[in-house]
Amino acid sequence: MEYYHSPDSIKDALSMAREFDGNFIYFAGGTDVQIYRKQKLEKNEHIIDLKSIHDLNSISIKDEVLSLGAMTPLDDIIKSKEILKFFPVLVEAAKSVATPVIRKTATIGGNLLVRNRCTFYNQSQEWRNGVGSCLRDVGDICQVTGGKNDCFSRNVSDTAAALIALNAEITLINSNGMTQKPIKDIYLPCGIKFHDLDNEIILTQIRVPFSPKKWWYKKLRMRKTLDFTSLTIAATIDNQDIARICLNGVSMTPILIEEPIETLTLESLIKQARKNCKTVDNDLMPLKYRREMINVYLEEFWNSIYI
Amino acid sequence: MEKVTLTVNGFTQSVLVESHETILDTLRNRLNLTGTKKCCDEGTCGSCTILMDGKPVLGCLTPTLRCVGKEILTIEGISSGESLHLVQKHLVKSLGLQCGFCTPGVVMTAIPFLEENPHASRNEIKESLSGNLCRCTGYKKIIDAVENAAEEMRS
Ligand SMILES: Cc1cc2nc3c(=O)[nH]c(=O)nc-3n(C[C@H](O)[C@H](O)[C@H](O)COP(=O)(O)OP(=O)(O)OC[C@H]3O[C@@H](n4cnc5c(N)ncnc54)[C@H](O)[C@@H]3O)c2cc1C
Ligand code: SF4
Ligand code: FES
Ligand code: FES
Repeated sequence: MEYYHSPDSIKDALSMAREFDGNFIYFAGGTDVQIYRKQKLEKNEHIIDLKSIHDLNSISIKDEVLSLGAMTPLDDIIKSKEILKFFPVLVEAAKSVATPVIRKTATIGGNLLVRNRCTFYNQSQEWRNGVGSCLRDVGDICQVTGGKNDCFSRNVSDTAAALIALNAEITLINSNGMTQKPIKDIYLPCGIKFHDLDNEIILTQIRVPFSPKKWWYKKLRMRKTLDFTSLTIAATIDNQDIARICLNGVSMTPILIEEPIETLTLESLIKQARKNCKTVDNDLMPLKYRREMINVYLEEFWNSIYI
Repeated sequence: MEKVTLTVNGFTQSVLVESHETILDTLRNRLNLTGTKKCCDEGTCGSCTILMDGKPVLGCLTPTLRCVGKEILTIEGISSGESLHLVQKHLVKSLGLQCGFCTPGVVMTAIPFLEENPHASRNEIKESLSGNLCRCTGYKKIIDAVENAAEEMRS
């Protein structure tokens, strides 16, 4: 059986979560969750829809610090002139997610928690049965590496790359209270359990602390729309000349390289990126090409700094 | 099953639905409104687009229970009697459809877009329809049609 609930406060949502004891899923825009349900990769019985919790959908900018409610639709972020003025890298990232219609429903919180993807996993049940299942489903080996321990499915959140490059923080609430964390710290290097949030936690706010003096963003994908990323790079330089370059779509977590621009060189940037990204052959684009594109994009970013 | 009250194309009615059901299935299977098409059933083709309180949403991803208390508009509610909406008229005139399977989704995406952006450029129109897959027309004639409709809507 499946049940749908629409609490109108965080308190009610948390008490439902406790009552259903793990047998539930939070539903924001549902544009990721619904696919997993249809493909029988998400089988929890209770859907807790967060849509009616009003104070989670908001945009405010004070002294160049941005606060975003987790339920803010990506389309509202794209249309905000103020966000465009101070945080254009976030607008570019939001614009590159899915399609214009999906972005009216898809939320920023849901995008940060979009599940990791792999060509052998994000398929219909029939397809998965056809190739044999994998570690992340009901099988016992990874179809990509043949290994028995690690899943290398890719974190594909485009806005995570931008928000990490902006050194953003999130506010999380569960029945023990409220905590704040840098976004970069919630992700784990595992394709299956890709973040460290317990399943009762509700993401409520995102805070972006500074407006960068330079930024760069690019997403590699098959088509200019609709497709998930094969490589996303978002980069910023702040007023203290610290460069933050975040790569996503090429490893189990977003990969951040953070260094004063004075000491950074293109060679060391490429070296760190290639070393830290655990890129395997689990995307529609060939592995060799994706790896090469890391160098190409980083070089483009590097050249843009001095323009 | 749950009994819910839905307002679709201006008519309010009660209907029994499963609690996980999508509005696409409710429209097609319970209300016999089969104009909204089910194609990929996973968010990638746009053929199930409908309007919820004037905003385009994908029917295949939207729970029916999320539609309670909202105004749902489907392709069946777009024309007034025999006279087609300008977007429909121009799709016919510019040969913007062949099999017609993607057409309801194209119409339901283009109408709110043009209402919000009456002076949209050709590139903006293209971008706005970038989630509507068509396997027949090659897109050019769809874009032509929406551009022509925009022009007539402005005049
Ligand atoms: C055709 C198509 C193309 C897509 N392309 C892209 C793409 O290019 N890039 C991309 O990143 N994504 C893409 N997506 C996936 C998805 O649309 C986006 O990631 C979207 O931003 C998810 O947001 P949502 O609100 O719909 O999340 P949901 O599907 O509602 O939720 C996603 C996850 O986050 C959890 N969650 C959501 N909000 C909260 C909260 N406030 N507190 C706690 N947990 C929460 C949910 O439980 C779920 O596990 C695509 C989807 C489709 C169907
Ligand atoms: S990386 Fe391996 S274990 Fe992980 S989803 Fe893909 S095939 Fe499965
Ligand atoms: S049927 Fe809904 S997007 Fe394809
Ligand atoms: S007219 Fe056949 S899919 Fe578009």
